[in-house]
Formats: sequence, C-alpha cells, structure tokens
Amino acid sequence: MNAVQPNLAMLKKLLIVAMVMFAFGYAMIPFYKKICEVAGLNNLLQPDTIVEETQQVDTSRLLTVELDANTRGLPWQFKPLQSTVQMHPGELVEVMYEIKNDSGREVTGQAIPSYAPLLVSQYIKKLECFCFTKQVLKPYETRQMPVQFLIESGFPDDISTVSISYTFFELSSDATSSNDVRTKSKI
Amino acid sequence: MAAVHHPDHGHGHEHEHHGPPSGIMRWLTTTNHKDIGTLYLWFSFMMFLTGGVMALTIRSELFQPGLQIVEPEFFNQLTTLHGLVMVFGAIMPAFVGFANWQIPMMIGAPDMAFARMNNWSFWLLPPAALLLISSFFVPGGAAAGGWTLYPPLSTQMGMGMDMTIFAVHILGASSIMGSINIVTTILNMRAPGMTMMKMPLFVWTWLITAYLLLAVMPVLAGAVTMLLTDRQFGTNFFNAAGGGDPIMFQHIFWFFGHPEVYIMILPAFGIVSQIIPTFARKPLFGYSSMVYATASIAILSFIVWAHHMFTVGMPVTAQLFFMYATMLIAVPTGVKVFNWTATMWRGSMTFEAPMLFAIGFIFLFTIGGFSGIVLAVVPVDIQLQETYYVIAHFHYVLVSGSLFALFGGAYYWMPKWTGNMYDETLAKTHFWLSMVFFNLTFFVQHFLGLAGMPRRVPDYALQFADFNMISSIGAFGFGFSQLLFLYVALKCVRGGKKATDQVWEDAEGLEWTLPSTAPYHSFETPPLVK
Amino acid sequence: MKEEANKAVKATPIQVAKAVFWAFFGVRKNSDHAADVELLTLKQVVIGGVIGAALFVGSLLMLVKFMTS
Repeated sequence: MNAVQPNLAMLKKLLIVAMVMFAFGYAMIPFYKKICEVAGLNNLLQPDTIVEETQQVDTSRLLTVELDANTRGLPWQFKPLQSTVQMHPGELVEVMYEIKNDSGREVTGQAIPSYAPLLVSQYIKKLECFCFTKQVLKPYETRQMPVQFLIESGFPDDISTVSISYTFFELSSDATSSNDVRTKSKI
Repeated sequence: MAAVHHPDHGHGHEHEHHGPPSGIMRWLTTTNHKDIGTLYLWFSFMMFLTGGVMALTIRSELFQPGLQIVEPEFFNQLTTLHGLVMVFGAIMPAFVGFANWQIPMMIGAPDMAFARMNNWSFWLLPPAALLLISSFFVPGGAAAGGWTLYPPLSTQMGMGMDMTIFAVHILGASSIMGSINIVTTILNMRAPGMTMMKMPLFVWTWLITAYLLLAVMPVLAGAVTMLLTDRQFGTNFFNAAGGGDPIMFQHIFWFFGHPEVYIMILPAFGIVSQIIPTFARKPLFGYSSMVYATASIAILSFIVWAHHMFTVGMPVTAQLFFMYATMLIAVPTGVKVFNWTATMWRGSMTFEAPMLFAIGFIFLFTIGGFSGIVLAVVPVDIQLQETYYVIAHFHYVLVSGSLFALFGGAYYWMPKWTGNMYDETLAKTHFWLSMVFFNLTFFVQHFLGLAGMPRRVPDYALQFADFNMISSIGAFGFGFSQLLFLYVALKCVRGGKKATDQVWEDAEGLEWTLPSTAPYHSFETPPLVK
Repeated sequence: MKEEANKAVKATPIQVAKAVFWAFFGVRKNSDHAADVELLTLKQVVIGGVIGAALFVGSLLMLVKFMTS
C-alpha cells in the first residue's frame, strides 16, 4: 500500500477544518449581533436617540396610530388603554398599556414590537417602552406601562394610518436572553 | 495529457482470487471505489425518480387553477421534500458517484485514500433518505416550510421537521467524509508525473468542490443543530420571543447555501470540460484559465450569500455590496463559457449523446446564468423575489446545468464502466426529449414569474392558467423521458456492442488506457505520466 | 504541492499579486501559469488569496460608499 501515514495526517487536518467551520457557524451569532449593534440595525428593544431637527412638529398633517396588543402562550391580559391615538408627525406622544397576570404564578414576559406598514420602522423613534426590559408579574398583579414615541416629520405623506403592535411572549425563568443583557447594560 | 506507460497490461486477471464476495454482501461490505461509485449513482437515480414523482404531483396540482389533487398542507410538504431530495439525495450523491468512479482512474491511483470510510459515507445515505421519505407518514406530515427550513416555520412544525433535521445531519456527515476522502486522494495518491497542472479538469473541479463542502457543510450542520435545540431544548437562537432572530438563520443558512449551489455546479463544469475536448478533437482551450476561474468562483461564493435575502431588510450599502459582488461572479463564469466555446471553435466535432448534453448544458446554463444576473439587481430582485422567475432561474442552472452534465458524463463514461456501448439512437432521443420538454416546462415559468405568480402555492389566479398548463405538460414529458435513460443504462449494463479501451476517438486521459470494462482494481502499479 | 515547496527560488510578492489578480479574473496565460507553478508555494498562494479577497471586499465597500454618499 502506498503511504498511509501522509493520508492520516491529511485526514486529521481536514477534520480540524470541518470542526473549525462548525464552530464558525456558532461564532456567526455573536458576530451578527455585534454588527447589528454597531450598524444600529434591528434595535427594536432599545431606546432611540432623537436628532434635534426631527423634533419639528408638522402640524399640517395628522396621523392616526392604531395600537394593538397580543399575548402568545402566557396567561396575561394585555391591552392598550386607548385603541387609537391622533398625532402630528414629529410630535412626542405617550400611550399607556395595561397587563394583568391572570394566573397564580409569577410569569416573566417579553414584548416584541411590530409595525405596519413596514416603512414606519425607519421613522418611528421610541424614547421609552416596556419592551426595552422583560416584565415580571407576580400572581394576579396588574401593571400600567407607558410607551413614548414620535414619528419623524419626514414620514411620507401618502400614509395617514399606521399600526403599532406588541406581542408578549413568555420567557422561561432561566432564559436570560442575550438581548436582555444587552439592553440592560445600555440603560 | 501525455502518453502513458503501462507496464502491466494483464493485471485485471491476476487478482481474481481476491475478487469481491458475491450477492448483497458484496455491496454492503465493499470498499472498492468502483462499487461505491455504482452504489452512489444508482442511489442518486432512485432519489431522482422519487423527487421527480413529487415534482409531477406538484405540477399536476398546478395543471389548472383551483385545488384538485392534493391538500395545500401536503403541497407544501411536497415542494419542501422535492427540493431537499433533489439537492441532497440526487444531484450531490450523483457527483460523488462520478468522483468515486473517475478520480482514481483519472489520476492513476489504485483506489480512494480511505476505502472503509468511503463505504461508510455511502451507507449513511439510505437511512437519511428513509428518514426524509418516511417523514411523510408521521403525524403532522413532512417538513413543509421550504427546503431552506426558515424559522419561524421550522421551529413550529411537528416531528417531520425533526426527522428532516436529523436527515440533514446524516447527509452532511456523509458529504464531509466523502470530501475528506476526495481531497486526500487527489493530493496524496496521484501517479508519479501527474502534477497538479496535468490533472484533468474534472479532478480539479472536484478538489475545489471538496474544499467548499468541507467549509460549508459544517455550517449547515451548525444551523440545523441550532434549529433542533430551539425546537427541543429551549434555546433561543432564532426565537424572537427569547431574544433570538429568525433573520440570523437566513444569514447562516445562505452562508452555506450559496457555496452549496457552486458545489452542485463546479463538478458539472468539470464533466463538460472533459467531454467537449474529446468530441471537438482539440485540447481544452485555456486549461489554466479554467482552473483559475473555478478557484475564483469558489472564493467569491463566500461573499455573496445575502443576495438571497434582499427583501428581509438590510441597509442599502449592504444591498449594493452584495449586488456588485454577485454580478462580478459572472466574470469567471463567463470565462468558462467562452473557453468551452473556443474549444469547439474549428474543432472536428461529432455529436454523440455526451456532446449533445454538453452543448445543451452550455446553452441552457448560460440562460440560467443570465437570469441569475437579472435577479442580482436589487430593485429587480425585490420585484421577483419568491416568484416563478426564481424557480425558472435555478432550474435552468440545476436541471439543464448540473443534471444535463450528469447525463452527459454518464453516457461519456458508461462504456468504460460497463464495457458495452450504450444505444446511441436511444441516448440521442433521450437528449432531444429532455431538451424540448425541459424548455417547455421551465421557459414559460419566466413569464409566470414576471407576471407575478408566487412560488410555493397550490392554487393561483386565472391569468396564470395557460402557462401553468404548458409547464405541467412539459414536466410530464420531461419526467417520462428520464425513464428512457433508465432503459438505456440497463440495456448497456446487460450487453451491447463491446467498447474499445479508448472508447471515443481521440479521448485523452488515464482512464482510457484501462481496459473496458474497467478492471476491479485500477492501477495497482502506478502508471507513469510524462 | 510538495514538489513546489522544494524549489529554492521563491516568488516575489509582485508575482504572487499578479497570479492572484489573474486568478480572480479567471484568465491566465499558459506560459505565465507554468511559471506560477514553478515559483509559488502553497503558503504564498493562500496568503495572497486571502489578502486579495480582503482587498476585493474593501474596494467593493469603497465603491458602495461612493455610490451612496
């Protein structure tokens, strides 16, 4: 048989390549999150900084903002205190949401926002939101929470109605997500 | 390729005393590269027919608007499994089968470097295929979120999804072992005088493909492992509620997925680069350009993945980057197409079945390449994303690209494998039927896509009816034409006109110095390549 | 690849850069290529290739910056 030894050496090298690439697949996750953070992408769960000029209120236009609330797999009631709010582009408004724990156990939830139409996400700036942290509710506890936001005045004027929706998901007690950690360190 | 000294002409007969055991045990325990190559080829053809039946069921449902034959849920399972079976079960194992048969013969090696691992990497495939197919019969049915397995769909489905994930794991392990074997064989076991730059292009393309496989199959394994732990063990890689990100899966998947599409086409380039010089009776034009272009395509394939996800939301700078990088891949690919054309230029060409398939490949693959460039343009892609235009594009590169090259290669080397000439008339009929019906099936899908018909739907609006009917008729024609290939192959295995050693006039390369049927052990005494 | 490593003469960085550039384009004269095989070592090709890829990505990024500014 010709030269088994170099073959085995090659086998080892190539196996290491395969294992390194497997690890690389996992390494893409922190890398991806870092890139999103640096590029300011995908920061649904962090407060925005507001640039001065966008604060100008455009009183000539009126936007209707529909507020929506959902829960997914956790025993909470979750609703906005008003279902719609009228606002001018550039105007800072505060709306209140209420959550109530219907169960006899302590439940931790995380709210994930979603906007319609999609274009709004570029223009909406949130200063305060209950979605920035996870919410822990004791048995039968009720809580009211604010969202402070504005929609920048550059918002295209062919859209007059937008929807802001929040969905609460249950976090299992040991699931401290990396997003949570990141958010906390920022605040 | 230079002339070859063959000191030991009669060696096929001396070794009959340690020939293979007979019956099924021969195939279960074989460590012979030719036996394993045969297994790979038959396995992939069976999977090709399986995936084909799924495709025909899909096309039957789409024959007319409305729901006639299958439920939408089952339709989604069919599209998903059709993709997975064709990619991982048919095209990839077929190329590995060619590598097993041809690489040792082409570089003058006695066998593959790790013969037992070779056996193992084949016998992992049938269980994986069984897992995939049987997932249709478990509660909830097979995976139905598309072959790309995007979350959140893939984190929600029933146990069919777990079986798919497990099957992908096994298939990945098999591919990794296969590519380790191929790389080691090519680098360490070449005959004396067979330098890297004398290697046939098929060997070169497989070397580069094997490196690509080694680099990206583990990434896919990682991605589906994350899916599995998200589903079963409460991790939150892709679960938005737990701080994960479903878009991240798409990034990881396509970091695998884009090199994967080159894994499925580079060996096809290699096969075509073997066939064209033989039937044009001229050496391959620009051999080193071909090698360099292959390497260049392989490297570029790692920096274009996000062109599959222009619509998920990314900054315009990223969109432009991936658009430019994608369009630049057309340069080395174009170099290859021009080299093949230049090889044929003023050649004394004859048009046997392998050559017909090779020319069909160049013609149709170029169309697929062009529609790829169209899709690389961000604003156009945003319009065409998830439409039948995309379906038409990747079937032009995968069916008339990879599959045509596979058929061409099969006809080209079949006389060497079986010792008999195949039936040329039937093979040519197979080509022309495939050619006509393929275009009938997929060319009209460009129009459907441009008109806005979405992919992965069991029902569609009335204005798409005519083209869908044409496409379905074409699909049935194409599907049944492939049975002709089965017949030709079986007929060739059973007998026919004896093939000469060289088989084709002016065919060059070490494999043509061996007798036809190729002896069980190819080059026990290494040939000398000048 | 071992044959090449034994060669005493090594390629200059310019030669490596040239080979890598032509490799990215996908075209190479046969005579130049024969010279590459003689001179370049595997290590040089890999390092040259990685630097070439980085430069390629960098120049694309610059182009994109220019287009969007």
